[in-house]
Amino acid sequence: MPFISRIQRQSDYNLFPSTVPIVIDNGASYFRIGWAGETNPRVIFRNIVQRPRHKTTGETVTIVGDHDPALLKYFDCTRSGPRSAFDSNVVYQFEIMEYILDFGFDRLGANGSEIDHPVLITECVCNPVQSRSKMAELLFETYGVPSVAFGVDAAFSYKYNQHLGVCDKEGLAICPGFTTTHVIPFIEGEPVYGGSCRTNIGGYHITDYLKQLISLKYPHHMARFTWEKVEDLKMEHCYIAPDYALEARLFQKGAKEAEDKTRCWQLPWIPPPVEEPPSEEEIARKAAIKEKQGQRLREMAEAKRSSRINELENELHGLEFLLEQLEQVEEDDIPSFLSATGYLSKQEIESALLKVTQSLRKAKGEPKDDQAESEEKTDPSTNEKFPLVNIPDNMLTPEQLKEKRRQLFLKTTSEGRQRAKQKRSESELERERKNQQDEENRLYGENPELYLEQLRVKYKEISEKVEQRKRLKTNGNHTNGNNMSGSVGRGERLSAAQRERMRLLTTAAFDRGKGEDTFGARDEDWQLYKLMSKDNDDDDDGPDQDEAELTRISSRLQEIDPTFVPSSELGTSQPVEVPRIRPLTKEDFKIVLGVERFRCPEILFHPNWIGVDQAGLDEMAGVSIRRLPSMGEGVEERLTSSIFMTGGSCLFPGIAERLEAGIRMIRPSGSLIKVVRAFDPVLDAWRGAAAYAIDPQFLTQTFSKTDYYEKGEDWLRRYQVKYSL
Amino acid sequence: MEQEVVEAEIVLPTHLSFKRIQMYEKYPKSQSRSRHWKHLKQILQAENYQNYPPDEPTYVNIESPPSMHPCKRICDVTGYEAPYYDPRTNLRYANAEVFKLIRSLPNDYVQRYLALRNAAVVLK
Repeated sequence: MPFISRIQRQSDYNLFPSTVPIVIDNGASYFRIGWAGETNPRVIFRNIVQRPRHKTTGETVTIVGDHDPALLKYFDCTRSGPRSAFDSNVVYQFEIMEYILDFGFDRLGANGSEIDHPVLITECVCNPVQSRSKMAELLFETYGVPSVAFGVDAAFSYKYNQHLGVCDKEGLAICPGFTTTHVIPFIEGEPVYGGSCRTNIGGYHITDYLKQLISLKYPHHMARFTWEKVEDLKMEHCYIAPDYALEARLFQKGAKEAEDKTRCWQLPWIPPPVEEPPSEEEIARKAAIKEKQGQRLREMAEAKRSSRINELENELHGLEFLLEQLEQVEEDDIPSFLSATGYLSKQEIESALLKVTQSLRKAKGEPKDDQAESEEKTDPSTNEKFPLVNIPDNMLTPEQLKEKRRQLFLKTTSEGRQRAKQKRSESELERERKNQQDEENRLYGENPELYLEQLRVKYKEISEKVEQRKRLKTNGNHTNGNNMSGSVGRGERLSAAQRERMRLLTTAAFDRGKGEDTFGARDEDWQLYKLMSKDNDDDDDGPDQDEAELTRISSRLQEIDPTFVPSSELGTSQPVEVPRIRPLTKEDFKIVLGVERFRCPEILFHPNWIGVDQAGLDEMAGVSIRRLPSMGEGVEERLTSSIFMTGGSCLFPGIAERLEAGIRMIRPSGSLIKVVRAFDPVLDAWRGAAAYAIDPQFLTQTFSKTDYYEKGEDWLRRYQVKYSL
Repeated sequence: MEQEVVEAEIVLPTHLSFKRIQMYEKYPKSQSRSRHWKHLKQILQAENYQNYPPDEPTYVNIESPPSMHPCKRICDVTGYEAPYYDPRTNLRYANAEVFKLIRSLPNDYVQRYLALRNAAVVLK
């Protein structure tokens, strides 16, 4: 049940005589103000101030508390969020505090020239004197309050419930609030602050923890998790587990109870419109358009080709004509004739003619005669080794002739040797293969099952090996889903090429890092880049052998095993990568609260889960008892038999049972432990204060402006109201 | 201002009759808006608690001591009991499934999970 602000302006302010005190419960989350002696505060609002700009007029305005978000649309709230006057549980920004008091008194209906009522205002335990004096000064100087009293909210709540008979006059008040949690022992109906303790954890931290956890779990919906919404979720769904470990294990196992305890929050989701498949006509129309376009392109290409052929033919005719004319021209007139045509010699014209005929042939699509090329194709290695063999005899000197004969002999013998060697190795390989085949056939014949099994194992081994090597080489691009950007993800090895590149880079950096940088001065330096850019080159023949073996085995397996399917046909052995973009479904808009429901409030008992190194709720009770000056067993017994919980964060279901179990662990066995919850953990502090302020003895506990200025800071520091009047 | 905003009276009026000193007098617009407040840390430092008798309760000495119970470690992601710890990300995890997840998390998410228990790397 979310708290609801009550901010209607009260109209009966003038009906109260100036002796009736105004009671303010100034909590870190909510501000409550009302009249002494009444049972409920008149005005309640969140203790925050916003100072947004009005969108049309541009003036900065002050808005106190939380309001209908529909009204805030006229304001530009982006530049300043809601601000609180509290740091932990101490008021430190009195400008904000003043806005809040303004709003509170205004809504209470104040309309005189000053606030002519005594004021009782709550503060935290052991409030620093600086904060207390600033608050008193503000009330006296700005609002003209005649007298002021400060009290602790938890103590008022305890006293109120003591009157109701919920707790005894000796007991422990445990108050998990908004930013802090206090444990205060009460002896003879008075709080003993010497025995109290404070852990800086509260409802704020629980909400924040829940907000962070669900926004980490559902990063797409982060914008939905506003503070107010998460606060509502916390109040509606969170509970304290009797035993955290047991409860968590329940969820881990996915038990039926855990399923029942899981809550879902369905965000509004509209299914995307379903796209209809294109109709027959549509497809036909598209195909026709495509065909038409293709036809046009083909026609264009054809036209281009024919025009080119035309052009070339014209040129050819021109050149032929030129040559004919050249034949008829006198020897002496050739240069002058040539200069007129633009060619230098007859050879040039002929070469041009040749070129044109060739390109014409090409344009017409006739096969190019590659006679010229094949002629030049001779074995360069033999040519190099035996340079004289191919040279005619009549071009050589006698010594060279002798040399040539020697080379010829050498050449024939070496060629013969090579042939023999090749033949031998081939026959050897053949024999080996045959042996293997025989062996395998024999094995297959003897025990087909075993043989098949062995073959399968071998196949698996080799295929894994090949796969591995492939992965190492081409790592980084497609192997794993988690390094999508091509960078190397967590826990992944670099590929061989990447490793080599890294090594080159580091050695280059270390070599050159010493003196001045001379990289690039020498030409060899630039070779580095060539080396680096080399990627995935096959320089070892290991995998080839493996691959050959793999194909052999797989073919053999295919032969004899009808159920065998090569792994390459199955796809890679890696799990198929989930497509990154898939249509969002209703499930994606479902916020599931499982473990979070009890994990978040658990930080009250284990503050170190959010990095606060302090004792949790149950331990604090023990600390508090230990801190009390020793007063005998009886007192301790009485304290634990009246453990009283108040404050907003004690509303979680199951907290009382858990607290009882926790305190039982640190108390001697058999001691009486009773945990009770306040009648209304949220409002009882104000009610207690209102009941206290209506007592005629209340005025003796207040101090006036003159007291404040005359008695000094030391007095103010020691100032403490007596709760039992 | 729009009609509904005025009707709801959500904007605090600048002048209030019951105040002796108005907001605009105390914090005039022309004045430089320098900080006129102290953080809690500064307030506590100015209190000079060391001059007070040690048995007097103060804001500082009523703080709870560190917990004496053995620390329960929970999985940073799922909240289950966490027997394991990943030295690379410093995250605690419950089982192999979560381990797979945390190894695939981008670094800023790891840091945000760590920040939940105040263990993130903070660069100053």
